[in-house]
Amino acid sequence: MSSDRHRPQLSWIDAIHLVTKRELRAYFDSPIAYIYAAVFLALSSSAFMNAFFLEAIVDMSSWFERLPYLLIVFAPAMTMRSWAEEHAQGTIEILLTLPLRSGQIVVGKYLAALAFYAMVIAGSLPIVVMLVRLGPADIGTILAGYLGALWLGAFFLAFGQFVSSLTHNQIVAFVLAALLASLFTFSGHPQVVEIIDGLAPEWQLGSWLAMSVSVLPQYETFVRGIVGLGALVYFTSMINLFLWLTQIGLGRIRR
Amino acid sequence: MIHVEHVTRTYGRLVAVDDVSFSVGANEIVGFVGPNGAGKSTMLKMLSTYLEPTSGTIRVGDTDIDVDAVAVRQQIGYLPGDTPLYGDMVVIDWLRFVAGAHSLTGGAIDAAVTRVVDTCGVGPVIDKRIHQCSTGFRQRVGLASALIHDPPVLLLDEPTHGFDPLQVMAFRDLLHQLKQDRAILFSTHIIADVEAVSDRVLIIDHGRLLADGTLSHLCDEAGLADPSLERLFAHLVSEIGDAHV
Repeated sequence: MSSDRHRPQLSWIDAIHLVTKRELRAYFDSPIAYIYAAVFLALSSSAFMNAFFLEAIVDMSSWFERLPYLLIVFAPAMTMRSWAEEHAQGTIEILLTLPLRSGQIVVGKYLAALAFYAMVIAGSLPIVVMLVRLGPADIGTILAGYLGALWLGAFFLAFGQFVSSLTHNQIVAFVLAALLASLFTFSGHPQVVEIIDGLAPEWQLGSWLAMSVSVLPQYETFVRGIVGLGALVYFTSMINLFLWLTQIGLGRIRR
Repeated sequence: MIHVEHVTRTYGRLVAVDDVSFSVGANEIVGFVGPNGAGKSTMLKMLSTYLEPTSGTIRVGDTDIDVDAVAVRQQIGYLPGDTPLYGDMVVIDWLRFVAGAHSLTGGAIDAAVTRVVDTCGVGPVIDKRIHQCSTGFRQRVGLASALIHDPPVLLLDEPTHGFDPLQVMAFRDLLHQLKQDRAILFSTHIIADVEAVSDRVLIIDHGRLLADGTLSHLCDEAGLADPSLERLFAHLVSEIGDAHV
Protein backbone atom coordinates (compact mmCIF):
# COMPACT_ATOMS: atom_id res chain seq x y z
CA MET A 1 0.00 0.00 0.00
CA SER A 2 1.29 3.40 -0.94
CA SER A 3 2.26 5.72 1.86
CA ASP A 4 1.51 8.73 -0.32
CA ARG A 5 -2.23 8.99 0.12
CA HIS A 6 -2.38 12.76 0.57
CA ARG A 7 -2.07 14.10 -2.92
CA PRO A 8 -2.82 17.69 -3.91
CA GLN A 9 -6.05 18.30 -5.78
CA LEU A 10 -5.73 18.81 -9.52
CA SER A 11 -5.39 22.40 -10.66
CA TRP A 12 -8.27 23.78 -12.71
CA ILE A 13 -6.19 23.62 -15.89
CA ASP A 14 -5.06 20.02 -15.30
CA ALA A 15 -8.59 18.89 -14.40
CA ILE A 16 -10.15 20.59 -17.43
CA HIS A 17 -7.42 19.18 -19.67
CA LEU A 18 -8.06 15.66 -18.32
CA VAL A 19 -11.80 15.85 -18.98
CA THR A 20 -11.40 17.55 -22.37
CA LYS A 21 -8.95 14.87 -23.52
CA ARG A 22 -11.31 12.05 -22.54
CA GLU A 23 -14.31 13.68 -24.17
CA LEU A 24 -12.48 14.57 -27.35
CA ARG A 25 -11.28 11.01 -27.65
CA ALA A 26 -14.86 9.82 -27.21
CA TYR A 27 -15.88 12.02 -30.16
CA PHE A 28 -13.23 10.52 -32.42
CA ASP A 29 -13.86 6.96 -31.22
CA SER A 30 -17.28 7.16 -32.80
CA PRO A 31 -17.68 6.75 -36.58
CA ILE A 32 -20.61 9.15 -36.32
CA ALA A 33 -18.13 11.97 -35.74
CA TYR A 34 -16.53 11.43 -39.14
CA ILE A 35 -19.90 11.16 -40.90
CA TYR A 36 -20.99 14.30 -39.07
CA ALA A 37 -17.89 16.21 -40.19
CA ALA A 38 -18.22 15.04 -43.80
CA VAL A 39 -21.93 15.93 -44.09
CA PHE A 40 -21.41 19.29 -42.38
CA LEU A 41 -18.56 20.24 -44.70
CA ALA A 42 -20.42 19.04 -47.80
CA LEU A 43 -23.51 21.09 -46.95
CA SER A 44 -21.62 24.20 -45.86
CA SER A 45 -19.32 24.10 -48.87
CA SER A 46 -22.20 23.66 -51.29
CA ALA A 47 -23.37 27.18 -50.44
CA PHE A 48 -19.96 28.55 -51.35
CA MET A 49 -19.75 26.47 -54.52
CA ASN A 50 -23.18 27.68 -55.71
CA ALA A 51 -22.24 31.31 -55.14
CA PHE A 52 -18.80 30.81 -56.65
CA PHE A 53 -19.75 28.97 -59.84
CA LEU A 54 -23.27 30.26 -60.52
CA GLU A 55 -23.05 33.84 -59.27
CA ALA A 56 -19.25 34.37 -59.62
CA ILE A 57 -18.98 35.59 -56.00
CA VAL A 58 -15.34 35.26 -55.00
CA ASP A 59 -15.56 35.54 -51.22
CA MET A 60 -16.72 33.39 -48.31
CA SER A 61 -19.78 35.39 -47.34
CA SER A 62 -22.16 32.71 -48.62
CA TRP A 63 -20.36 30.07 -46.53
CA PHE A 64 -20.55 32.16 -43.38
CA GLU A 65 -24.15 33.24 -44.01
CA ARG A 66 -25.40 29.68 -44.21
CA LEU A 67 -23.56 28.59 -41.06
CA PRO A 68 -26.16 29.64 -38.40
CA TYR A 69 -28.89 27.69 -40.20
CA LEU A 70 -26.74 24.57 -40.49
CA LEU A 71 -25.82 24.80 -36.81
CA ILE A 72 -29.51 24.64 -35.85
CA VAL A 73 -29.20 20.93 -36.63
CA PHE A 74 -25.49 20.23 -36.33
CA ALA A 75 -24.75 21.83 -32.95
CA PRO A 76 -27.53 19.93 -31.12
CA ALA A 77 -26.33 16.76 -32.85
CA MET A 78 -22.92 17.34 -31.27
CA THR A 79 -24.16 18.12 -27.80
CA MET A 80 -27.16 15.83 -27.41
CA ARG A 81 -25.16 12.93 -25.98
CA SER A 82 -22.90 15.11 -23.83
CA TRP A 83 -24.85 14.85 -20.56
CA ALA A 84 -27.96 12.90 -21.56
CA GLU A 85 -25.84 9.78 -22.16
CA GLU A 86 -24.11 10.21 -18.80
CA HIS A 87 -27.54 10.31 -17.14
CA ALA A 88 -28.91 7.37 -19.13
CA GLN A 89 -25.91 5.09 -18.58
CA GLY A 90 -25.34 6.12 -14.98
CA THR A 91 -21.73 7.17 -15.67
CA ILE A 92 -22.56 10.58 -14.24
CA GLU A 93 -22.33 8.93 -10.80
CA ILE A 94 -18.75 7.86 -11.46
CA LEU A 95 -17.86 11.21 -13.01
CA LEU A 96 -19.29 13.30 -10.17
CA THR A 97 -17.60 11.20 -7.50
CA LEU A 98 -14.11 11.67 -8.93
CA PRO A 99 -12.14 14.37 -7.12
CA LEU A 100 -13.05 16.97 -9.72
CA ARG A 101 -15.24 20.04 -9.30
CA SER A 102 -18.45 20.14 -11.31
CA GLY A 103 -17.29 23.38 -12.95
CA GLN A 104 -14.13 21.64 -14.17
CA ILE A 105 -16.20 18.83 -15.68
CA VAL A 106 -18.64 21.23 -17.34
CA VAL A 107 -15.86 23.33 -18.87
CA GLY A 108 -13.86 20.23 -19.88
CA LYS A 109 -16.80 18.70 -21.71
CA TYR A 110 -17.62 22.03 -23.30
CA LEU A 111 -14.08 22.64 -24.54
CA ALA A 112 -13.99 19.15 -26.07
CA ALA A 113 -17.15 19.91 -28.05
CA LEU A 114 -15.71 23.29 -29.05
CA ALA A 115 -12.41 21.74 -30.14
CA PHE A 116 -14.23 19.16 -32.24
CA TYR A 117 -16.35 21.90 -33.80
CA ALA A 118 -13.22 23.99 -34.52
CA MET A 119 -11.63 21.00 -36.24
CA VAL A 120 -14.74 20.49 -38.37
CA ILE A 121 -14.91 24.11 -39.54
CA ALA A 122 -11.15 24.01 -40.15
CA GLY A 123 -12.08 21.52 -42.86
CA SER A 124 -13.29 24.50 -44.89
CA LEU A 125 -9.79 26.03 -45.05
CA PRO A 126 -9.16 24.67 -48.57
CA ILE A 127 -11.75 27.24 -49.70
CA VAL A 128 -9.59 30.00 -48.21
CA VAL A 129 -6.50 28.61 -49.94
CA MET A 130 -8.41 28.54 -53.21
CA LEU A 131 -9.56 32.15 -52.81
CA VAL A 132 -6.04 33.34 -51.98
CA ARG A 133 -4.66 31.57 -55.05
CA LEU A 134 -7.34 32.93 -57.35
CA GLY A 135 -6.72 36.56 -56.55
CA PRO A 136 -6.54 39.20 -53.88
CA ALA A 137 -8.71 37.82 -51.07
CA ASP A 138 -9.83 39.95 -48.13
CA ILE A 139 -7.99 37.98 -45.46
CA GLY A 140 -9.14 40.31 -42.66
CA THR A 141 -12.80 39.71 -43.45
CA ILE A 142 -12.22 35.98 -43.75
CA LEU A 143 -10.44 35.87 -40.38
CA ALA A 144 -13.22 37.88 -38.75
CA GLY A 145 -15.73 35.49 -40.32
CA TYR A 146 -13.96 32.48 -38.86
CA LEU A 147 -13.79 34.21 -35.49
CA GLY A 148 -17.53 34.79 -35.73
CA ALA A 149 -18.07 31.17 -36.73
CA LEU A 150 -16.16 30.07 -33.64
CA TRP A 151 -18.14 32.34 -31.32
CA LEU A 152 -21.41 31.28 -32.93
CA GLY A 153 -20.58 27.61 -32.54
CA ALA A 154 -19.34 28.21 -28.99
CA PHE A 155 -22.70 29.77 -28.13
CA PHE A 156 -24.78 26.99 -29.73
CA LEU A 157 -22.67 24.33 -28.01
CA ALA A 158 -23.06 26.05 -24.63
CA PHE A 159 -26.85 25.98 -24.67
CA GLY A 160 -26.83 22.54 -26.32
CA GLN A 161 -24.85 21.16 -23.39
CA PHE A 162 -27.17 22.86 -20.93
CA VAL A 163 -30.22 21.28 -22.57
CA SER A 164 -28.47 17.89 -22.63
CA SER A 165 -27.84 18.18 -18.89
CA LEU A 166 -31.59 18.42 -18.26
CA THR A 167 -32.61 15.06 -19.68
CA HIS A 168 -31.77 11.36 -19.86
CA ASN A 169 -32.97 11.18 -23.45
CA GLN A 170 -30.65 12.20 -26.29
CA ILE A 171 -33.51 12.72 -28.74
CA VAL A 172 -35.24 15.08 -26.32
CA ALA A 173 -31.92 16.91 -25.87
CA PHE A 174 -31.54 17.22 -29.64
CA VAL A 175 -35.07 18.48 -30.27
CA LEU A 176 -35.03 21.02 -27.41
CA ALA A 177 -31.60 22.35 -28.41
CA ALA A 178 -32.67 22.60 -32.06
CA LEU A 179 -35.80 24.53 -31.02
CA LEU A 180 -33.71 26.90 -28.94
CA ALA A 181 -31.22 27.30 -31.79
CA SER A 182 -34.11 28.06 -34.16
CA LEU A 183 -35.38 30.72 -31.76
CA PHE A 184 -31.96 32.36 -31.48
CA THR A 185 -31.46 32.24 -35.26
CA PHE A 186 -34.83 32.84 -36.92
CA SER A 187 -35.75 35.64 -34.51
CA GLY A 188 -33.16 37.68 -36.40
CA HIS A 189 -34.15 36.64 -39.92
CA PRO A 190 -35.44 39.73 -41.81
CA GLN A 191 -38.63 38.03 -43.05
CA VAL A 192 -39.50 36.69 -39.59
CA VAL A 193 -38.84 40.11 -38.06
CA GLU A 194 -41.11 41.71 -40.64
CA ILE A 195 -43.92 39.23 -40.01
CA ILE A 196 -43.77 39.63 -36.22
CA ASP A 197 -43.55 43.41 -36.49
CA GLY A 198 -46.57 43.32 -38.80
CA LEU A 199 -48.67 41.48 -36.22
CA ALA A 200 -48.50 44.40 -33.78
CA PRO A 201 -46.78 47.38 -35.44
CA GLU A 202 -46.99 49.56 -32.34
CA TRP A 203 -45.01 47.04 -30.29
CA GLN A 204 -42.25 46.32 -32.87
CA LEU A 205 -41.80 42.98 -31.15
CA GLY A 206 -39.97 41.43 -34.11
CA SER A 207 -37.34 44.15 -34.16
CA TRP A 208 -36.95 43.91 -30.40
CA LEU A 209 -36.45 40.12 -30.58
CA ALA A 210 -33.93 40.53 -33.38
CA MET A 211 -31.86 43.03 -31.43
CA SER A 212 -32.19 41.50 -27.96
CA VAL A 213 -32.48 37.76 -28.46
CA SER A 214 -31.22 36.76 -31.89
CA VAL A 215 -27.67 35.74 -32.50
CA LEU A 216 -27.76 36.90 -36.12
CA PRO A 217 -27.09 40.64 -35.67
CA GLN A 218 -24.10 39.82 -33.45
CA TYR A 219 -22.77 37.16 -35.78
CA GLU A 220 -23.25 39.27 -38.91
CA THR A 221 -20.90 41.95 -37.62
CA PHE A 222 -18.11 39.36 -37.81
CA VAL A 223 -19.19 38.25 -41.31
CA ARG A 224 -18.90 41.89 -42.41
CA GLY A 225 -15.34 41.86 -41.12
CA ILE A 226 -15.98 43.78 -37.90
CA VAL A 227 -14.95 42.39 -34.52
CA GLY A 228 -17.30 44.46 -32.38
CA LEU A 229 -17.15 44.76 -28.63
CA GLY A 230 -20.95 44.42 -28.37
CA ALA A 231 -20.89 41.07 -30.15
CA LEU A 232 -18.03 39.81 -27.97
CA VAL A 233 -19.91 40.83 -24.82
CA TYR A 234 -23.10 39.16 -26.12
CA PHE A 235 -21.36 35.86 -26.90
CA THR A 236 -19.22 35.67 -23.76
CA SER A 237 -22.20 36.55 -21.54
CA MET A 238 -24.49 33.99 -23.14
CA ILE A 239 -21.84 31.25 -23.11
CA ASN A 240 -21.03 31.90 -19.46
CA LEU A 241 -24.72 31.97 -18.60
CA PHE A 242 -25.39 28.54 -20.11
CA LEU A 243 -22.24 26.96 -18.66
CA TRP A 244 -23.23 28.31 -15.27
CA LEU A 245 -26.77 26.97 -15.70
CA THR A 246 -25.32 23.56 -16.59
CA GLN A 247 -23.25 23.60 -13.42
CA ILE A 248 -26.28 24.64 -11.36
CA GLY A 249 -28.22 21.78 -12.94
CA LEU A 250 -25.54 19.29 -11.89
CA GLY A 251 -25.68 20.62 -8.35
CA ARG A 252 -29.41 19.85 -8.29
CA ILE A 253 -28.69 16.14 -8.95
CA ARG A 254 -27.02 15.96 -5.54
CA ARG A 255 -30.00 17.50 -3.74
CA MET B 1 -12.59 6.73 9.17
CA ILE B 2 -16.29 6.99 8.23
CA HIS B 3 -18.54 8.85 10.65
CA VAL B 4 -22.25 9.15 9.91
CA GLU B 5 -24.36 11.10 12.37
CA HIS B 6 -28.15 11.34 12.23
CA VAL B 7 -28.24 11.29 8.46
CA THR B 8 -31.59 11.51 6.71
CA ARG B 9 -32.20 11.60 2.98
CA THR B 10 -35.56 12.22 1.39
CA TYR B 11 -36.73 12.13 -2.22
CA GLY B 12 -39.75 14.37 -2.12
CA ARG B 13 -42.04 12.72 0.44
CA LEU B 14 -40.16 9.41 0.42
CA VAL B 15 -37.73 8.98 3.29
CA ALA B 16 -34.99 6.78 1.82
CA VAL B 17 -32.62 7.01 4.80
CA ASP B 18 -34.02 7.91 8.18
CA ASP B 19 -31.83 9.27 10.98
CA VAL B 20 -28.98 6.80 10.49
CA SER B 21 -25.76 6.94 12.55
CA PHE B 22 -22.78 4.62 12.43
CA SER B 23 -19.04 4.63 11.96
CA VAL B 24 -16.50 2.41 10.25
CA GLY B 25 -12.90 2.34 11.44
CA ALA B 26 -9.60 1.40 9.81
CA ASN B 27 -8.87 -2.31 9.36
CA GLU B 28 -12.58 -3.01 9.38
CA ILE B 29 -14.90 -4.60 6.84
CA VAL B 30 -18.52 -3.73 7.42
CA GLY B 31 -21.37 -5.37 5.54
CA PHE B 32 -24.40 -3.23 4.84
CA VAL B 33 -27.40 -5.52 4.56
CA GLY B 34 -31.03 -5.01 3.74
CA PRO B 35 -33.67 -5.83 1.16
CA ASN B 36 -33.98 -3.97 -2.14
CA GLY B 37 -35.06 -0.40 -1.56
CA ALA B 38 -33.94 -0.45 2.08
CA GLY B 39 -31.69 2.59 1.61
CA LYS B 40 -28.28 0.91 1.25
CA SER B 41 -27.42 2.43 -2.12
CA THR B 42 -28.72 5.85 -1.09
CA MET B 43 -26.46 5.73 1.98
CA LEU B 44 -23.45 4.78 -0.14
CA LYS B 45 -24.28 7.51 -2.67
CA MET B 46 -24.23 10.03 0.16
CA LEU B 47 -20.92 8.71 1.48
CA SER B 48 -19.46 8.95 -2.03
CA THR B 49 -20.66 12.62 -2.18
CA TYR B 50 -22.89 11.89 -5.17
CA LEU B 51 -25.94 12.80 -3.09
CA GLU B 52 -26.19 15.32 -0.30
CA PRO B 53 -27.88 14.30 2.94
CA THR B 54 -31.12 16.13 3.62
CA SER B 55 -29.92 16.45 7.22
CA GLY B 56 -27.15 15.09 9.41
CA THR B 57 -23.40 15.05 9.00
CA ILE B 58 -20.95 12.75 7.26
CA ARG B 59 -17.21 12.85 7.86
CA VAL B 60 -14.56 10.82 6.08
CA GLY B 61 -11.30 10.96 7.97
CA ASP B 62 -11.28 14.45 9.41
CA THR B 63 -13.11 16.01 6.52
CA ASP B 64 -16.77 16.96 6.57
CA ILE B 65 -18.48 16.21 3.27
CA ASP B 66 -20.24 19.59 3.35
CA VAL B 67 -16.94 21.43 3.84
CA ASP B 68 -14.71 19.84 1.18
CA ALA B 69 -16.37 17.18 -0.97
CA VAL B 70 -13.38 16.99 -3.33
CA ALA B 71 -11.02 16.17 -0.45
CA VAL B 72 -13.45 13.45 0.65
CA ARG B 73 -13.54 12.01 -2.88
CA GLN B 74 -9.75 11.80 -2.82
CA GLN B 75 -9.99 9.47 0.15
CA ILE B 76 -12.71 7.26 -1.26
CA GLY B 77 -12.72 4.42 -3.73
CA TYR B 78 -16.30 3.96 -4.88
CA LEU B 79 -17.91 1.18 -6.86
CA PRO B 80 -21.50 2.19 -7.60
CA GLY B 81 -24.27 -0.36 -8.07
CA ASP B 82 -24.60 -1.71 -11.64
CA THR B 83 -20.99 -0.55 -12.28
CA PRO B 84 -21.65 2.32 -14.67
CA LEU B 85 -18.59 2.66 -16.91
CA TYR B 86 -17.87 4.29 -20.27
CA GLY B 87 -18.46 1.38 -22.63
CA ASP B 88 -16.59 3.02 -25.51
CA MET B 89 -13.35 3.38 -23.51
CA VAL B 90 -10.52 0.88 -23.55
CA VAL B 91 -9.98 -0.55 -20.05
CA ILE B 92 -6.42 0.76 -19.67
CA ASP B 93 -7.46 4.24 -20.85
CA TRP B 94 -10.24 4.27 -18.30
CA LEU B 95 -7.88 3.28 -15.49
CA ARG B 96 -5.37 5.93 -16.58
CA PHE B 97 -8.13 8.53 -16.71
CA VAL B 98 -9.27 7.75 -13.14
CA ALA B 99 -5.64 7.74 -11.97
CA GLY B 100 -5.17 11.18 -13.56
CA ALA B 101 -8.29 12.48 -11.83
CA HIS B 102 -6.71 11.38 -8.55
CA SER B 103 -3.65 13.55 -9.27
CA LEU B 104 -1.36 10.67 -10.20
CA THR B 105 1.13 11.49 -12.93
CA GLY B 106 3.70 9.79 -15.17
CA GLY B 107 5.30 6.74 -13.61
CA ALA B 108 2.89 6.77 -10.66
CA ILE B 109 0.02 6.16 -13.09
CA ASP B 110 1.85 3.21 -14.68
CA ALA B 111 2.65 1.74 -11.26
CA ALA B 112 -0.94 2.17 -10.03
CA VAL B 113 -2.37 0.60 -13.19
CA THR B 114 0.02 -2.35 -12.91
CA ARG B 115 -0.94 -2.81 -9.26
CA VAL B 116 -4.72 -2.81 -9.79
CA VAL B 117 -4.53 -4.90 -12.94
CA ASP B 118 -2.70 -7.50 -10.89
CA THR B 119 -4.90 -7.16 -7.80
CA CYS B 120 -8.23 -7.28 -9.63
CA GLY B 121 -7.21 -9.66 -12.41
CA VAL B 122 -8.19 -7.44 -15.31
CA GLY B 123 -5.12 -8.32 -17.37
CA PRO B 124 -7.06 -10.39 -19.94
CA VAL B 125 -9.27 -7.40 -20.85
CA ILE B 126 -6.82 -4.54 -20.44
CA ASP B 127 -6.83 -3.68 -24.18
CA LYS B 128 -10.54 -4.29 -24.72
CA ARG B 129 -13.28 -1.73 -24.82
CA ILE B 130 -15.36 -1.88 -21.66
CA HIS B 131 -18.55 -2.79 -23.55
CA GLN B 132 -16.74 -5.90 -24.80
CA CYS B 133 -16.14 -7.16 -21.24
CA SER B 134 -18.37 -9.70 -19.50
CA THR B 135 -20.36 -8.59 -16.45
CA GLY B 136 -17.77 -10.14 -14.15
CA PHE B 137 -14.89 -8.35 -15.84
CA ARG B 138 -16.82 -5.05 -15.88
CA GLN B 139 -17.23 -5.46 -12.14
CA ARG B 140 -13.51 -6.09 -11.76
CA VAL B 141 -12.70 -3.05 -13.90
CA GLY B 142 -14.97 -0.98 -11.66
CA LEU B 143 -13.20 -2.33 -8.61
CA ALA B 144 -9.79 -1.65 -10.18
CA SER B 145 -10.73 1.97 -10.81
CA ALA B 146 -11.99 2.28 -7.22
CA LEU B 147 -8.60 1.05 -5.98
CA ILE B 148 -6.34 2.93 -8.41
CA HIS B 149 -5.44 5.69 -5.93
CA ASP B 150 -5.01 3.32 -3.00
CA PRO B 151 -7.86 4.93 -1.03
CA PRO B 152 -8.13 4.60 2.75
CA VAL B 153 -11.91 4.17 2.42
CA LEU B 154 -13.60 1.72 0.08
CA LEU B 155 -17.34 1.89 -0.66
CA LEU B 156 -18.71 -1.01 -2.67
CA ASP B 157 -22.33 -1.26 -3.75
CA GLU B 158 -23.25 -4.88 -4.53
CA PRO B 159 -19.65 -5.73 -5.44
CA THR B 160 -20.20 -9.43 -6.22
CA HIS B 161 -23.03 -8.76 -8.66
CA GLY B 162 -22.28 -10.73 -11.84
CA PHE B 163 -19.51 -12.84 -10.28
CA ASP B 164 -19.44 -16.62 -10.64
CA PRO B 165 -18.81 -18.68 -7.45
CA LEU B 166 -15.03 -18.78 -8.00
CA GLN B 167 -14.91 -15.05 -8.55
CA VAL B 168 -16.96 -14.54 -5.38
CA MET B 169 -14.40 -16.56 -3.41
CA ALA B 170 -11.53 -14.62 -4.97
CA PHE B 171 -13.29 -11.37 -4.16
CA ARG B 172 -13.70 -12.35 -0.51
CA ASP B 173 -9.97 -13.11 -0.31
CA LEU B 174 -9.24 -9.79 -1.96
CA LEU B 175 -11.34 -7.89 0.59
CA HIS B 176 -9.35 -9.51 3.40
CA GLN B 177 -6.10 -8.40 1.72
CA LEU B 178 -7.42 -4.87 1.23
CA LYS B 179 -8.54 -4.54 4.83
CA GLN B 180 -5.11 -3.46 6.07
CA ASP B 181 -5.21 0.26 7.02
CA ARG B 182 -8.51 0.62 5.24
CA ALA B 183 -12.18 1.04 6.10
CA ILE B 184 -14.39 -1.03 3.83
CA LEU B 185 -18.16 -0.68 3.67
CA PHE B 186 -19.98 -2.86 1.20
CA SER B 187 -23.66 -3.31 0.56
CA THR B 188 -25.22 -6.56 -0.49
CA HIS B 189 -28.28 -8.67 -0.13
CA ILE B 190 -26.21 -11.85 -0.44
CA ILE B 191 -26.09 -13.00 3.15
CA ALA B 192 -23.21 -15.42 2.53
CA ASP B 193 -20.94 -12.54 1.44
CA VAL B 194 -21.56 -10.72 4.68
CA GLU B 195 -21.09 -13.77 6.86
CA ALA B 196 -17.87 -14.66 5.06
CA VAL B 197 -16.02 -11.36 5.18
CA SER B 198 -17.63 -8.84 7.50
CA ASP B 199 -16.21 -7.91 10.87
CA ARG B 200 -19.46 -6.13 11.59
CA VAL B 201 -22.88 -5.81 10.01
CA LEU B 202 -25.27 -2.91 9.60
CA ILE B 203 -28.84 -3.99 8.97
CA ILE B 204 -31.13 -1.47 7.35
CA ASP B 205 -34.77 -1.66 6.35
CA HIS B 206 -37.12 1.07 5.16
CA GLY B 207 -34.29 3.56 5.64
CA ARG B 208 -33.84 2.83 9.35
CA LEU B 209 -30.79 1.19 10.85
CA LEU B 210 -32.07 -1.85 12.72
CA ALA B 211 -28.78 -3.24 14.00
CA ASP B 212 -25.07 -2.46 14.19
CA GLY B 213 -22.61 -4.96 15.58
CA THR B 214 -20.85 -8.26 15.11
CA LEU B 215 -23.05 -11.07 13.91
CA SER B 216 -22.51 -13.20 17.03
CA HIS B 217 -23.16 -10.28 19.36
CA LEU B 218 -26.36 -9.28 17.57
CA CYS B 219 -27.61 -12.88 17.55
CA ASP B 220 -26.87 -13.17 21.27
CA GLU B 221 -28.80 -9.97 21.90
CA ALA B 222 -31.72 -11.27 19.87
CA GLY B 223 -31.64 -14.55 21.75
CA LEU B 224 -30.91 -16.59 18.64
CA ALA B 225 -29.06 -19.81 19.33
CA ASP B 226 -27.83 -20.16 15.74
CA PRO B 227 -25.74 -17.11 14.66
CA SER B 228 -27.25 -16.74 11.21
CA LEU B 229 -27.69 -13.38 9.52
CA GLU B 230 -30.81 -14.59 7.74
CA ARG B 231 -32.49 -15.48 11.03
CA LEU B 232 -31.31 -12.27 12.64
CA PHE B 233 -32.66 -10.19 9.78
CA ALA B 234 -36.03 -11.98 9.88
CA HIS B 235 -36.14 -11.52 13.64
CA LEU B 236 -35.41 -7.78 13.45
CA VAL B 237 -37.90 -7.15 10.67
CA SER B 238 -40.62 -9.07 12.52
CA GLU B 239 -39.87 -7.03 15.67
CA ILE B 240 -40.38 -3.84 13.71
CA GLY B 241 -43.59 -5.26 12.28
CA ASP B 242 -44.84 -6.12 15.77
CA ALA B 243 -43.96 -2.66 17.01
CA HIS B 244 -46.00 -1.13 14.18
CA VAL B 245 -48.99 -3.38 15.01
